[in-house]
Amino acid sequence: MAAESSRSFGKKRVRDEESILDKGDADRTLGLENNLTFSDTLIALQMMRAQFPNIEKVAMQPFILRSQLYSSVKDRTQVDRDLESLKKEKVLRLFKLNTGQDDHAIMFLDDYLKQVAIAVKRLEIKNQQDLEVFEWFKKYVIETKLDVSIDHQELCALLSCGAEVKDKHVTFLISAGLLNRQLIDPNMYWFTIPNIGSILKGLSQGRKELLSFLNRRKFKEMLLAPLEKKQLRFSPLDMRFHLRDLIGSGHLKTVRTPTGLLVRVSKD
Amino acid sequence: MWKAVKDREAGVLLPSSFASRIRSHRVASFDLSNHKEIVSPHNGAINSLQVDLTEARYLLSGASDGSAAVYDIQHATDYERGLIAKHRSLFVVDKQHSHGHRYAISTVIWYPVDTGLFITGSFDHYIKVWDTNTTQVVMDFKMPGKVYRTAMSSIATTHMLIAAGSTDVQVRLCDIASGAFTHTLSGHRDGVMSLEWSTSSEWILVTGGCDGAIRFWDIRRAGCFRILDQSRSQLGRRPPLAESTSKKGSVTGQSSSVKTAVSQRRIPLGNETKQLRTLRKSQILTRGPVVQRLHPGLSSSHNRATAHYGAVTGLRATGDGMYLLSSGSDSRLRLWDIDSGCNTLVNYEAMRLQPTKALQLAVTQDSSLVFVPCMATVKAYDVWSGMTCRTFRGHYELVNCCCFSSQYQELYSGSNDRQILVWSPPNPIIAEMEDGRGGLVSVADQDNWSD
Repeated sequence: MAAESSRSFGKKRVRDEESILDKGDADRTLGLENNLTFSDTLIALQMMRAQFPNIEKVAMQPFILRSQLYSSVKDRTQVDRDLESLKKEKVLRLFKLNTGQDDHAIMFLDDYLKQVAIAVKRLEIKNQQDLEVFEWFKKYVIETKLDVSIDHQELCALLSCGAEVKDKHVTFLISAGLLNRQLIDPNMYWFTIPNIGSILKGLSQGRKELLSFLNRRKFKEMLLAPLEKKQLRFSPLDMRFHLRDLIGSGHLKTVRTPTGLLVRVSKD
Repeated sequence: MWKAVKDREAGVLLPSSFASRIRSHRVASFDLSNHKEIVSPHNGAINSLQVDLTEARYLLSGASDGSAAVYDIQHATDYERGLIAKHRSLFVVDKQHSHGHRYAISTVIWYPVDTGLFITGSFDHYIKVWDTNTTQVVMDFKMPGKVYRTAMSSIATTHMLIAAGSTDVQVRLCDIASGAFTHTLSGHRDGVMSLEWSTSSEWILVTGGCDGAIRFWDIRRAGCFRILDQSRSQLGRRPPLAESTSKKGSVTGQSSSVKTAVSQRRIPLGNETKQLRTLRKSQILTRGPVVQRLHPGLSSSHNRATAHYGAVTGLRATGDGMYLLSSGSDSRLRLWDIDSGCNTLVNYEAMRLQPTKALQLAVTQDSSLVFVPCMATVKAYDVWSGMTCRTFRGHYELVNCCCFSSQYQELYSGSNDRQILVWSPPNPIIAEMEDGRGGLVSVADQDNWSD
């Protein structure tokens, strides 16, 4: 908690209120014994999950970008290691996004399963048969394969623990949005979050808009307090989301001034 | 510092720790040198630098205009105002030379045994071995693609092979003794941008390719024996023995015949875990794979593990041979534990690395700091915590290479602005002079005996 509050952006008050509500949610999802040892990364994750903006058009469960995590916890190596151990404990899952070279999204496992269920339901409305492949996927593949990608042989092997697997099953998974072919290698698939396409488009457009807004200013900087209140035109995600993301990835940096925090475009 | 000297006298402090303390103190006070300058004769971006390994006295540089130059970094050629030492090049070989390179020189290295030979590799597909004293080409090797990087092992006693990575997928080893190619290492899917010989064994070569894979080759055998996978990780230094053995694959006894003809789908037998034993049972799949047979301990060439999400642009092994640093075009720097082949998950703070060009990293002798050229600066990171220690700003354009001389604790960096800058601990005499007492024109290292 201390590491976080030292990096607070003036959203400290809002965060404190939400933390009280949040702890309540956490108690229910993780069980009492796990509550006793919170790593800083986990607290940051839960905090940001609670602050995920509500998007009207798309039913989207909260996800957190890795760069946002880097901006809210001081020690990045510790963040990486905590993420690795949380991934192994199956508390959360990592996904590689296609919006940049090293973009990753972190989603809590329950949220991911809810998202998958929504996608499956949508597919169910269209055609009724052969939907057991999603059950196999959930039971065998998600439980055992914790990486961001999987290759074709392994996928078929794991799915066939359910029953005989055919090509059209894999096609169903791809059309539901759970898997995506890798461009460099036709045998490997990325795991993806279903129905995230429009949000990712909004993410990259929002990043560009925010960076160009700051670049157009005379000294390429702005105080955080008025900047936070601005609305982005091209992105359904709120300004706070984008600020955390860009600060964590190094495009923006914050400077402490007597009148508050200042956000500046970084030169290197 | 005088207390440390006293402690060493008294035997409280070991001489070796005294020396390393002084060295790290000097490295911590690095800044743009106020007493030394290298005058670069190049008309193109400087791509590669190397200080010679025998005396640490000569610096070799290679540039994009096809020129290579050698400087004596210990003795200056002249002094400016009696204070600043200027080091001009001892000689330059460029396009005017009868056997010089025709295009950009991408890599220069000294012959590791002595400074009588140096090797240059260039985008004109040639690797040339030069005699330093006569500045003539002794031998050249024609490669199938643009040469990105060459390397020679500094601990080799039985071979003098130049490992060369180019835009071709195969790594070639050239032998100076015979003038021919002795080995061809295949396995990469795209060009090979960075190469390093291992610092602990003269037979092990590490290569990083544009396909993002880092492969370890033992040149006495065919094939690579390890591929670094960024998803295999360990938290920090090596875990206790019991945990690590469960990660290693179980290559069940396959007969050791050569791999069969290329077919579209194969089962990677390299890095499997125990969970995938079932994979072997359910091999009857629609796409009919062919089982690839391997020598035990060898990695399949169809193992697609990647170390970076882009090309691997730079490799550097630490002096003790235990860890490997790799930089990628995905702007990540990763630290690998060589023995276990795992990613140690150290996160080097936000850096943007130039994606298209090969970089030359530098590590201090005691592996505490790594110097990385990041865009127009050189950044020094603490190897184990990933924190930025210093940022060296001085170049006007992108920095391509940096070289650390551990004997004199100096850092040399070369960039696209055609300059080689020297970063060293400040010389206190000159710092005093600059403070305003100006007008004193005395050579800094002249004797000052009283009568």
